[in-house]
Amino acid sequence: MHNFTKELVDELADKLLIGLTREENELILNEFNVIDETMELITKIPSISSVEPMTHALPSSTYTPREDAKEESVDISDLLANCDAYEGREVKVPKVVGGD
Amino acid sequence: MNYIKTIEELHEMLKNKEVTSDELVKDSLKKAHFIQDKCNAFVTILDDATGKEVNDDLLSGIPYGIKDNYSTKGILSTGSSNTLKDYVPFFTATAVKNLERHNLVPIGKTALDEFGMGGSGTTAHTGNILNPWDLKRMAGGSSSGSAASVAAGVYPFALGSDTGDSIRKPAAFCGIVGYKPTYGMISRYGLFPFASSLDHCGCLTRSVKDAALVVDAMKGQDENDLTSWDSQNIHLFASLDGKVKGKKLFYIKEIVNLENYPDASNELKEHLDNFYKTLDLLKEEGVTIKEESIDRTLVNAIFSVYQCLSCAEATSNMSNLTGIIFGPRGEGKNIYEMIKDHRTKGFSSLIKRRFVIGSYALQKENQEKYFVNAQRVRRLIVDKMNELFQKYDGLIMPVSTGPAPYIDGHKEEITNDNTTNLEEHLQIGNFGGFPSITIPNGFINNLPVGINITGKCFDDANILNIAYALESKMPYKNQVAPIIKEGPYE
Repeated sequence: MHNFTKELVDELADKLLIGLTREENELILNEFNVIDETMELITKIPSISSVEPMTHALPSSTYTPREDAKEESVDISDLLANCDAYEGREVKVPKVVGGD
Repeated sequence: MNYIKTIEELHEMLKNKEVTSDELVKDSLKKAHFIQDKCNAFVTILDDATGKEVNDDLLSGIPYGIKDNYSTKGILSTGSSNTLKDYVPFFTATAVKNLERHNLVPIGKTALDEFGMGGSGTTAHTGNILNPWDLKRMAGGSSSGSAASVAAGVYPFALGSDTGDSIRKPAAFCGIVGYKPTYGMISRYGLFPFASSLDHCGCLTRSVKDAALVVDAMKGQDENDLTSWDSQNIHLFASLDGKVKGKKLFYIKEIVNLENYPDASNELKEHLDNFYKTLDLLKEEGVTIKEESIDRTLVNAIFSVYQCLSCAEATSNMSNLTGIIFGPRGEGKNIYEMIKDHRTKGFSSLIKRRFVIGSYALQKENQEKYFVNAQRVRRLIVDKMNELFQKYDGLIMPVSTGPAPYIDGHKEEITNDNTTNLEEHLQIGNFGGFPSITIPNGFINNLPVGINITGKCFDDANILNIAYALESKMPYKNQVAPIIKEGPYE
């Protein structure tokens, strides 16, 4: 069994750029334990490691590429319409390189 | 005038000029506002909607609802999340575009569990969505607003999406029909992705025929969705004839048998008893129904496998929700602080927890035990089902442990309850991409319950036809919650 800790949960949340309350952290710890119990049982299924993982509901379908036709791209103003901060044609963000 | 009819009946009324499309739309909008006050089913009601030209197409001029995780050009599309509370897409989802060709009239965008990641209707940014049969109970989720509005008679159908059971469980809780076709029959382009390998588009209606009609109109191969396939030769509505003599169904002993639940509530006992009585109705039509056994380790793994896969895929799919290019900007000194502020304030507690679980399953050191093993068990479960589908036309199962639970006291947490298998087994349909339909099969404590039929991939017509035959043996077709009678409509 894995030893789940509050610190581990916070570290994972931080990687996702998400902040958690103490209550949320505790709930995740409980949920981890429930999932872990089942996944432990799964490791005991005979020859489980030889089963091909299933990544999609249906086997890969054959796809015919569409014609290489010229298309109008989406207007920049439409793309920026949902952005809270932009200048001209560009999204505005705090300085990333060499910033604070 | 009573417009709580099937699509075919409404079409007859439109053609005979007993009602115009515009009158239908206005009536639907009135009902939408009435239900919004009671059930909180909508994110947006499209008050400027007007009728459309009626032609020979059964769907022309008919009002309907769209779940708010379908992109609709120029119309607010939030996924019921604060992270997209003002988001207006610049394109329309293919499924909705396909419906537009039929002169249908959208009336509103329905509320859901945030991004489809819940089963209760209690995580939408606009508040709890309530069940029109009993306002203290949940509508189920995640297609909560779609289910509540169709059950309340606002219009004959609404769009849903289904990653675990998000169409089929709310349909049961609200006493209506919920159908998700085979994976890829309907394009997912423009549907906000939750877990791409499990996500399905579909619909909620009040009759099997309506479900067939609507999916006939939604489906089709789409160059923008590589997993969609050519279904031109499948005609769901035209295939319904109700002839089911000689069909074979099975149910899973380890999930359905009452002996699995030593502390069963009276509600659960009644629900399972009602399930067996419903099977008798199909047997009267010449359908053979048998009990089958599945390795209990696999059955017990369904929910954890679902959580590992869906949370992991969601974590990846929703990494684009930063509040930088779209969505409300977070506060902070640098871009990382801004994104963290946006995501911390924007996501509900439930999906934050799900993301952390997904991230854990995807960490390099954990991937083999959690994510990859979950994918392996997914295959074992699907292989077992496909083996059984060699012998049977479909799987028939009760939905959930009974009617919709109360909202008060409900906690959407991952627990080790011994009824989990009965609550969560519909996820099998998503693992395999199987066509799956829920129809109402009675009442317990005056609340509706449902039964589900799931079949092999591409065999949608067969599954719908069995559901159609069963529906015709019961008095629940086109039923609506009595709440609508409290309004100025009857």
